[in-house]
Amino acid sequence: MLIGTSRFILNGWVQKLYIEPTFFFPFLGFEWVKPLPGNWMFLPFILLFVSALFFMLGFFYRIASVVLFLSFTYIELLDKTNYLNHYYFVSLVAFLMLFLPANRYCSLDAHLNLTPKQFLISKWNIGILKFQLGIVYFFAGIAKLNSDWLFDANPLKIWLQAHHHLPLVGKLLQQEWVAFAFSWTGCIYDLFIVVLLFNKFTRPFAYIFVVVFHFVTWYLFPIGVFPWVMIFSTLIFFSPNFHERILQFLTKEKMQTLSQKMIPSFNKKIVSTALILFVSFQILVPFRYLAYDGDLFWHEQGFRFSWRVMLMHKEGYGRFFIVDSRTKREMELPQQQFLTPIQLDQMLTQPDMILQYAQILYKEYNGKTFYVAGLPLKIDKPEIQAEIYVTLNGRPSQLFVRKGKNLVTIKNDLKNRIWLEEFKK
Amino acid sequence: MKRIIFGILIGTLVFVTACNKDKNKKEDFDKAALLQNFADNIIQPRYADFKTKIDSLEILFTAFQTNPSTDAFEDVKSQWKACYLSFQRVKTFDFGPAMNTGFKGAIGTFPTDTTQISSNITAGTYNLATATNADAVGLAALDYLFFNSNAYSNLTSNATYGQYCSDVIQKMKAETDAVVSAWSSFKSTFTASTGNESTSMFSMLVNDFCQDWEEAKAAKLGIPLGKYSLGIQRPEYIEARYSGYSLPILKASLKSIAEIYSGIGINGQDGVGFDDYLIALKKESLNSVIKDKFREIDSSFYVFNSSLELELTQNPVALEDLFNAISQQVVYIKTDMTASFGILITYQDNDGD
Repeated sequence: MLIGTSRFILNGWVQKLYIEPTFFFPFLGFEWVKPLPGNWMFLPFILLFVSALFFMLGFFYRIASVVLFLSFTYIELLDKTNYLNHYYFVSLVAFLMLFLPANRYCSLDAHLNLTPKQFLISKWNIGILKFQLGIVYFFAGIAKLNSDWLFDANPLKIWLQAHHHLPLVGKLLQQEWVAFAFSWTGCIYDLFIVVLLFNKFTRPFAYIFVVVFHFVTWYLFPIGVFPWVMIFSTLIFFSPNFHERILQFLTKEKMQTLSQKMIPSFNKKIVSTALILFVSFQILVPFRYLAYDGDLFWHEQGFRFSWRVMLMHKEGYGRFFIVDSRTKREMELPQQQFLTPIQLDQMLTQPDMILQYAQILYKEYNGKTFYVAGLPLKIDKPEIQAEIYVTLNGRPSQLFVRKGKNLVTIKNDLKNRIWLEEFKK
Repeated sequence: MKRIIFGILIGTLVFVTACNKDKNKKEDFDKAALLQNFADNIIQPRYADFKTKIDSLEILFTAFQTNPSTDAFEDVKSQWKACYLSFQRVKTFDFGPAMNTGFKGAIGTFPTDTTQISSNITAGTYNLATATNADAVGLAALDYLFFNSNAYSNLTSNATYGQYCSDVIQKMKAETDAVVSAWSSFKSTFTASTGNESTSMFSMLVNDFCQDWEEAKAAKLGIPLGKYSLGIQRPEYIEARYSGYSLPILKASLKSIAEIYSGIGINGQDGVGFDDYLIALKKESLNSVIKDKFREIDSSFYVFNSSLELELTQNPVALEDLFNAISQQVVYIKTDMTASFGILITYQDNDGD
């Protein structure tokens, strides 16, 4: 977390992602989350940095965890351009950590006697974290069970060949069977790794797999700190003894053996209800796509928050037009006038962002007067239209949005996106 | 455990079948070879050509100044045209030395600011390197200075007018020399940068290739045609309006991009280009769609036989067709081709969703 935040600040991404853009794409239902003006946007990042440091040291753990969860989630809710599954994962874990007594043993809080030392914690505390990790892997595995991934080895085929310049392995990455091997291994890995991690005998081997797998992905794909997050957080599957040994090694202190036991901490009923709610939410959300017709990768209704990682290579090209309602005069809008390159890139393939962009354009142009060759032309309640082509996983590009539809009047909601062109396999 | 073994078995089975199918397959493609071909046979020779043309322009203009005649002036003007056409073949490569020196903007910004030019000449002192003069220099400034209706009399009677032209030429010459000499050391950086991250030279090359095509679409044709101004034509934005050479310039620009696509060197030899990469990726059909579109666009110019300004009124439908054809090609090169290459256009990590 600490590293991730510093990386964000040092790479200038605060500037690029949250200060430079004029417009943002909030999530449905979270439109009230607004960015702070100008350089104030560094504030949540500083809070995040400090709280992550305190959190790690276990210093004022409770407050640190609240600040950590809130600042991180706030940043992520600002703009869906930057949505990543692993950010969602971090938010969820941070949320869980709010309720877990992770400051009871090896922490400054415990050292300074700010909290009673406690060696034992309830089994659900560890269990829910294991569950969360298990969900990520398992659903990522299920999501890979699609024909593009299994029978075309796409998008990996596209991504791997782009590395053909690497020494030694480069030539291999251009081979089709290597892409198939990666696809199938990835799928099998995601589906079964959790089972292997749960089993005492297979656990060490499984962990070697985890390290190798994430190391390879870290090397080949630009996925930042995510592989490291997964490599370290998977350690939770190891027995308490194992962790004690690491702690002993790190602190050089001899300590009494911990053991995990079911002890009643606080109101058992509340805990179990909350757990059931959280668990069922986690299981149901990734399946919500079943409620929609058409191709999930095309319309993306129900795509996010479902651990669909690295499944699509989707690129779009689009032209936006305003059509004056009175004179029917039309004009193409300059590319990239209001959006950053990343926003434009993401928007063109994500239907909900297209509709949000149409609203942005409407607000910008409605009532505006243009002077063309000295002639004043006032735009009144313009239609916003678009012609967008999208290519998905190596297929030839297809029409995504047909010109002629007024995007301003289409509601951005959870219904079927019938305004998109139909996807031809 | 059993399920896992079963899964691994299925996996192995797939590998084996996939291997077998691949036995009689394409040879490997190498981005390094493409970059090498571009540096050796396209980019550097094209810069060298532009440099030669600018050098001759300077010589011819000095000759004209020492010995003014309408013939000598015609030589200057036709050399200026040669420079303008040659520039279309280098402006695509807006990375490395060209990006560092602002070469493309300095030479090729249009339309020119005639008011600024006139006030510079009247004042007699000016600094052409300042931002205020960004629209008063380059090839477009010479378009006005050489081709306005009083050009010849101004040049022969007004010393500052001639000096201004000479300064503009000198500035371009210095900028070109800087890029050409920087390229000799930059070349190894260029050819080694084969990655797919957005900062790699290969990605920059593909992005600039697409962007140059889009600029031809919007700046050279779309804006004058009124595509960005509610359908009202804007002749004041026409490139090289005074000389009336905008259509040959547009054609040269589009043709240059088509040659870059195929990796065709300055000597006409067809080297490793984007077309070869697509073929190696088994995208033969996309390659022929793109090539056909290039050919169709290039051959559609025969209907135009006067300047863009006149064609805007006489032949707007044909221009509209040309605009649409160029727009359609953007989809193929920017979406299909770039996506096939697996180039990342975001400059930030993401996990690919």
